[in-house]
Amino acid sequence: MKTARVIYEEGGHRWLALVRDPNRPDYLIDTNEYLVIDNDDAILLDPGGNEIFPAVFSALSTEFDPRKINKLFASHQDPDIISSLSLWLEFNPQIKCHISWLWSSFVPHFGGGRDTFISLPDSGGDIMVGGQRLRAIPAHYLHSSGNFHLYDPKAKILFSGDVGAALLPPGEDGLFVEDFDRHIRHAEAFHRRWMGSEKAKRDWCSRVSQLDIEMLCPQHGAIYKGANVKRFIDWFAQLEIGIVKG
Amino acid sequence: MAAVIQDTGRELRRIVRINEEIKSVVARAFKINLMAMNAIFLAKRAGQSALGFGVLSNELRRFAMDLQKQMTQLRETTYGSVATVTALVKQMRLSRVLERARKESSGKGRAIIDDFLRSRHSLTHARQREQIAALNRRLSQMIADTTQLVELGSVLARSAKIEAAYGGPFSVALMQVSSDFEHTIGEIQHSLENLSKQRDN
Repeated sequence: MKTARVIYEEGGHRWLALVRDPNRPDYLIDTNEYLVIDNDDAILLDPGGNEIFPAVFSALSTEFDPRKINKLFASHQDPDIISSLSLWLEFNPQIKCHISWLWSSFVPHFGGGRDTFISLPDSGGDIMVGGQRLRAIPAHYLHSSGNFHLYDPKAKILFSGDVGAALLPPGEDGLFVEDFDRHIRHAEAFHRRWMGSEKAKRDWCSRVSQLDIEMLCPQHGAIYKGANVKRFIDWFAQLEIGIVKG
Repeated sequence: MAAVIQDTGRELRRIVRINEEIKSVVARAFKINLMAMNAIFLAKRAGQSALGFGVLSNELRRFAMDLQKQMTQLRETTYGSVATVTALVKQMRLSRVLERARKESSGKGRAIIDDFLRSRHSLTHARQREQIAALNRRLSQMIADTTQLVELGSVLARSAKIEAAYGGPFSVALMQVSSDFEHTIGEIQHSLENLSKQRDN
């Protein structure tokens, strides 16, 4: 099963990273899920696909009562992001899923009804978790045409979906980026191929540069921390993207 | 669990086979309708000597239309069955993932899933049995009604054959038409027997 790692904690405000399942079949891409807890309230970020639900559920329940999760955040519509929706709804039919308006009639094919989805406008918006206000930051076309990241100003953490993702080889699967230059080689091909819009990339780099970010948490690979956050943004800003071979 | 999944898969395949039989009956009913129209014209040409044949052809045409309506209802029932069985397949798939989650969990997480699965299993299985039984009952009733209707068609076709013998110079042509009726209705009866077998499987 996956492991639940506490990456931030202050009072009742916590971030859990649900990571690294040694039993994951190799035909499934590895994913990170994050749970943001504020006292008794919690939001699960990019809950993952159907196949990894058991690993996510079991890891999460070691730290938090899964029945109390009443909000999901889906950065975009991909199956590795949100195809487990119907399973989460089994546990709490009242659960709400925050997602770009663009996908709010597509994702119900995975589950949920009219009342399940809270559509985020293109400009983004706030999501309250307990007493904490989280901000959905536009990241359209990175890679999905309706794409959001989630910023927590208290923890200074940016959940960055597929931006910052790295496909790590066996043996290089630490939770945090230790050696940036070594790590970024595993991110390069992914970003060149998956990120399609140069303009969107520049906009995003400019937008997040104005945020105070201590940790940048992608959906795949390791977490960028401290100085590595800026290094990543700078690296991404100058990377040529939207090409098949790099 | 595996047996239940296998059952629902078998149920879907059975519905597909039933639909195929329904399609073939509908095609034959359409054929009877056309044949009956031709037979009505033929009887008119034959005049007084084929009055009885004309009446029977009219009845066969009505029979064909009734049969088409009946098959439309049967098809609607099987469409409903597809929706029900698909929902069951989905439920079974969810159960399978939840079972895996139970195995991977420990402590409080496992207790939550145990509680959830207990209530869910008893509900799901009971509901599944009830829904499939209700579908089968409805299907059986409709096939029985259709069999009765086709039996009437068969009697009409045999009577038409007898009437054809009194058709004077048109007797050979009328005999040929009534044999075609009989043959086509025989094919429908064969399809209905297949439908009954599918229902029982």
